[in-house]
Amino acid sequence: MKTIRILHMYSDMLDLYGDNGNIEVLSYRAKARGIETAVEHHSVGTKDTDFSSYDLIYLGGGADFEQQLLAEDLQSCRDEIMKAFNNGTFFLLICGGYQLMGEYYKDSNGEVIDGLGMFPYHTEASLNKNKRCIGNIIIEAELNGEMSKIIGFENHGGQTSQTDKPFGRVVYGNGNRFGSEDEGYFDKNIIATYLHGPLLSKNPKLADHIIRYCAERDGNSVEMTPLDDTLEEKAREVLFRRLDARR
Amino acid sequence: MRLYNFLTLQFGKLIVKALQLLHKGAGNLPGLILLGINKNILGYFKVDCPIIAVTGTNGKTSVTNFVNRLFEQSGKNVITNKQGNNLDTGIVSLFLKLCSPTGKIHADCLVLEIDESHVPVIFKKLKLETLIVLNFFRDQLDRNGEVETLILKVKSFLETFQGNVILNADDPNVARLGLANPDNKNVKYFSVEKYKYATDKIHEVGEGKFCPVCGEPLEYEYYQYSHIGLFKCPKCGFGDNEIYLKVENVDLEKRRFTVDGREYDINNPSIYYVYNMAAVCAAAKLYNIDDDILRDTLERFEVNNGRMEKFSIGKSNAVINLAKNPVGANMTIRVMNESDHEKELMFVLNDNLADGYDVSWIWDINFEVFKDVTRVITSGRRAYDIAIRIKTSGYDASKIEVCPDLDEAVENLFSTEGEKFIIANYTSVQPTRTAVINYIDKNKEE
Repeated sequence: MKTIRILHMYSDMLDLYGDNGNIEVLSYRAKARGIETAVEHHSVGTKDTDFSSYDLIYLGGGADFEQQLLAEDLQSCRDEIMKAFNNGTFFLLICGGYQLMGEYYKDSNGEVIDGLGMFPYHTEASLNKNKRCIGNIIIEAELNGEMSKIIGFENHGGQTSQTDKPFGRVVYGNGNRFGSEDEGYFDKNIIATYLHGPLLSKNPKLADHIIRYCAERDGNSVEMTPLDDTLEEKAREVLFRRLDARR
Repeated sequence: MRLYNFLTLQFGKLIVKALQLLHKGAGNLPGLILLGINKNILGYFKVDCPIIAVTGTNGKTSVTNFVNRLFEQSGKNVITNKQGNNLDTGIVSLFLKLCSPTGKIHADCLVLEIDESHVPVIFKKLKLETLIVLNFFRDQLDRNGEVETLILKVKSFLETFQGNVILNADDPNVARLGLANPDNKNVKYFSVEKYKYATDKIHEVGEGKFCPVCGEPLEYEYYQYSHIGLFKCPKCGFGDNEIYLKVENVDLEKRRFTVDGREYDINNPSIYYVYNMAAVCAAAKLYNIDDDILRDTLERFEVNNGRMEKFSIGKSNAVINLAKNPVGANMTIRVMNESDHEKELMFVLNDNLADGYDVSWIWDINFEVFKDVTRVITSGRRAYDIAIRIKTSGYDASKIEVCPDLDEAVENLFSTEGEKFIIANYTSVQPTRTAVINYIDKNKEE
């Protein structure tokens, strides 16, 4: 039986806004297709993590304080993380995780945290802690050639610039910066985004996209039997209806 | 300026009168209007009596009601905001209703529930005698921002405060406030001894993982619930505080504990509640409340109002508990699991402004520990979201019924007999109570 190996980084620090739920959704939907998931953890001080041995590396969002605490450990893993990425490991990065993989993050206290510089974007937060992009958000993203609406909740002070390859186009909400048209960062094996919710809970297609990528990485093909997503569809409908009415 | 203050005050009293004539509860509206035209109005009220304030994420309303009762039973004339209008607008509205035309408040003491973020705003203008801080959990992050921001607000107020500060020693986020003003000799800690279901590992989502002083990971001997427990920083020693009031021998089955060797009965079997009562005992000790009054209050007083409130109809019993954040919901699930019977759960989830628009907190609730739950009904504006969350935790999806309409949901819940638990978040708790009460009334007559 196929097993997807997941590395959850800093789950003890980057776990605001129920982001750990994304792992639950992935495991739930994989298991329903007979695909196992094995979740392992890397946190500050974990030694000898073999980043390239994972199919998926996941980072959630956290507060400024926690991001400061882990920055140094993250830097020490830079080369290994880069190698995993070039090897085809899928990266799912939410909010803080998204920011930390860019060039740098200047937080709301004016302190600069060096990012891993894996991607060309950078993020600066306003020193006014009340200036944050907060609210429901809908973006439109292309998954396997098909346009799909992605729903989530954004809550970030950081304004991210120079995202040459955004994850999606903002339909409702702010995105990378206040009132921006683009949201997140996207490539063949990375989705970086500000969307919480948790992200995958209301976007089953996106969850399945990631599962398929991870399960088929080794060249095998897996059958993604359709699941009963009535609850998910209804939850999406409720929000589409509500947000459309407000526009 | 004095005249302007005087005039706004009279105007405010007129608004209160007008609303009363219209049979509308005053709520926050008069305060909202008044603060809009005169933001200094709070400082114009003349309060000569002691003010005791209760703040923290969970338990404010309960503790405020209990402390209020201690003073009332002691024969004091107390003014309190029982209903939890705990922002500056709520306090101004309350004062407008009760003050003399010159703004004087006549009372022996004020017991006020205050929102964490409003502690500095309100007590810059009013002289506080005692601040009780219960806990800090993640709560409505989209409204409040990060928990840290709230803690820093209270801390900034305490840096120059010389009055009594009663702190929960078992919550690192609260205990750190004791360091805010090293010159204040009136900082007192309360604590609860390890109870039967305490764990070695953190069981539910928590905040206090790192030492707020030096950043080192905190070491815990045990966790009572969430990040509440016995902790210490191995590097700088943070957490080693002298305890002013300790609740010991906690026995949830028999619903009792001891303080200073004296035994007290309580009327609710949850550790979360015991911590609230510890704060109440600390206030009683500080103000030399008669032991019989404390004993009677702990044993008999109930806040109800959707806080572990019990209802019964026919052969069914239902408990409604407010949960506006994961810690509150996890606590209800603990209580559910400690009952050996089969039971059903109804979860009502709204996402109105006062709840926070973000419902992602439900993913921090531990549904996978569910024991003997035979059916789940979900309701509220986000009924589907909570259904998805419970399904994903591994609970059988065919046993989940979604009824966004509250009356329909309640009808459905009572269509079977047995033990029921209802969790409702902030704006849904009162409508849920009403729906349950209406259902009971309607079905009694028949």
